[in-house]
Amino acid sequence: MSAISTSSLSKTYVSSFGKKKVQALIDLNLNIERGTIFGLLGPNGAGKTTLIKILLQIIFPTLGNATILDTDISSYKIKSRIGYLPENHKYASYLTGGEVLRFFGRLSSINNKDLDKKIDELFELVGLLKWKKTKVKTYSKGMMQRLGLAQALINDPDLIFLDEPTDGVDPIGRKEIRDILLHLKSRSKTIFLNSHLLSEVEMITDRVGILNKGKLIREGTVQELTVNKEEYRIRLDDDKVNLERYSDKNISIHSSGENEFNVKVDDIRTLNMLIDKLRNDGVLIKEIMVQKNTLEEMFISLINKEENSEKAV
Amino acid sequence: MKNVWVIILFTLREAVARKVFIFFMGITLLVLLIMALVFGLTDTQSIMALMNPTGEETILVDIIRNLEFLIVNPLANLGLLLAIFSSASFIPVMLEQGNIDLLLSKPVSRTQLLIGKYLGVLLFVFINIFVFVFGVWFIISVKFGYWDASFLLISVLITFAFALLYALIVLFNVTTKSSIPGMMAAYLIFLIVSPLMLFYKEQLHLHIESGVIKLLLDGLYYVVPQTAELMGRMLYQTASGNIIENFQPVITSILFIILTLSFSIFLFRKKDF
Ligand SMILES: Nc1ncnc2c1ncn2[C@@H]1O[C@H](COP(=O)(O)OP(=O)(O)O)[C@@H](O)[C@H]1O
Ligand SMILES: [Mg+2]
Repeated sequence: MSAISTSSLSKTYVSSFGKKKVQALIDLNLNIERGTIFGLLGPNGAGKTTLIKILLQIIFPTLGNATILDTDISSYKIKSRIGYLPENHKYASYLTGGEVLRFFGRLSSINNKDLDKKIDELFELVGLLKWKKTKVKTYSKGMMQRLGLAQALINDPDLIFLDEPTDGVDPIGRKEIRDILLHLKSRSKTIFLNSHLLSEVEMITDRVGILNKGKLIREGTVQELTVNKEEYRIRLDDDKVNLERYSDKNISIHSSGENEFNVKVDDIRTLNMLIDKLRNDGVLIKEIMVQKNTLEEMFISLINKEENSEKAV
Repeated sequence: MKNVWVIILFTLREAVARKVFIFFMGITLLVLLIMALVFGLTDTQSIMALMNPTGEETILVDIIRNLEFLIVNPLANLGLLLAIFSSASFIPVMLEQGNIDLLLSKPVSRTQLLIGKYLGVLLFVFINIFVFVFGVWFIISVKFGYWDASFLLISVLITFAFALLYALIVLFNVTTKSSIPGMMAAYLIFLIVSPLMLFYKEQLHLHIESGVIKLLLDGLYYVVPQTAELMGRMLYQTASGNIIENFQPVITSILFIILTLSFSIFLFRKKDF
């Protein structure tokens, strides 16, 4: 069962005079399993918000179609099982935090009796209980974000969309939000997360997608995306050997620390040939590891590669 | 239906919070207070004796009804101007970024959202107008000891005139996402176009020779919201307890409201936010 499934989803914004066109999403195909945390990464303007807004029918796709919770997105009733924390959200400033939740709770058809209990629970969860009776106009950015999260959870949704949830939240708050998301996952909720904060995403997501200029350029588990198959790190026992001299047209080797070398090869055979050669020469190998980049390193190199290939065209 | 009701309730809530409700009520109560004072201080008995020496019931009723109308008419027109002003921004506020995104992510259809807002604003205006009309009626009824609740019907008529203009405002709100154009359009219709069309229908009509122009203007007469008719002759006929001779303005107005709202909903359902 899929939580989100899109097929050839495209969105072109046309400015009011019809002159300027922005292709915000291009032929997007994505399938997200239920019960997972999915992180959508991408630089500003990549089209992340556009995707969420299409799935919620806040804007309409130019082409393609999509389902959420195996229901066509055009059905508004499915939204009773959806939660959404928008990128910029504002609430009627004259309402208190509690009243904001009451309003959205009523709109989600939760009856008044259960609502009071639910509101208290949620304020407790996001750490705003003290502020329940305070008008939202006095809330700080971080508090607004927490309120937004509580609002997104008011109907106990099965699928939750969060657009830059930790924006403006301090490090402790971020940790708390991460914990809440993990807790939700443990209750088999599906979470779709937009973020440009890669280290955060890395910590909690099962799968990530990388969006650049409206195109999904990579998709997989964090593990898959960060492991760089052709790069290894070799540590030697001996500090007199300089591996760099083993470089040739198939192997590039650079010192990356004391007795440590970064080895780039075309395939695993070349690597093994290198090892044979080293063993023949009596070099003592202590450790060979697959070089793992952080998500951020991978992300930056990927986006740069895209830029370059675009320039080359 | 439940969704629409929740939106109506929170629209009222918004009206209270944004002080427009208090502002309206304040003016209403002030006017009623002044009226009560004036009536309390004047010796209406002797004036009535002068105007109605025989003390005949029908004449008394006539005088009372006309008096009520004379008080309500200018204030109702003023009230309508204020109502347009204070209601023009409800939908633009709802359509603001960050606000509409959230609403649309809830299990509420766009149709329900727009209708809920429309009815909520209508209810807010009706409550104010009703309090005002009721107050005028109550003071005069106490003073003259004559009670006839049918006068209260004019609060429905005034709200209906507002509903007509507000449908137009909603259309402008949805297309422009801002409050000024709708407000301008409503003022233009209410203060200038509709009175002019009425003038044409009643006076100019007979003097125009060209058949084509006549046809055109006649058509226009039925298309333009007929607030001048509703707030003029119909208001008088309702207030004075006379029979309403011509229901055509009511029928064309209902059609106008239905068409304009349907078109607004149609546009709203296709819009990106
Ligand atoms: N309403 C709009 N009209 C025109 N262009 C838009 C609109 N919304 C977004 N865009 C453009 O679409 C692209 C993607 O925007 P967005 O989805 O907000 O990206 P992200 O959330 O990844 O930062 C950007 O180039 C942005 O300028
Ligand atoms: Mg965004």
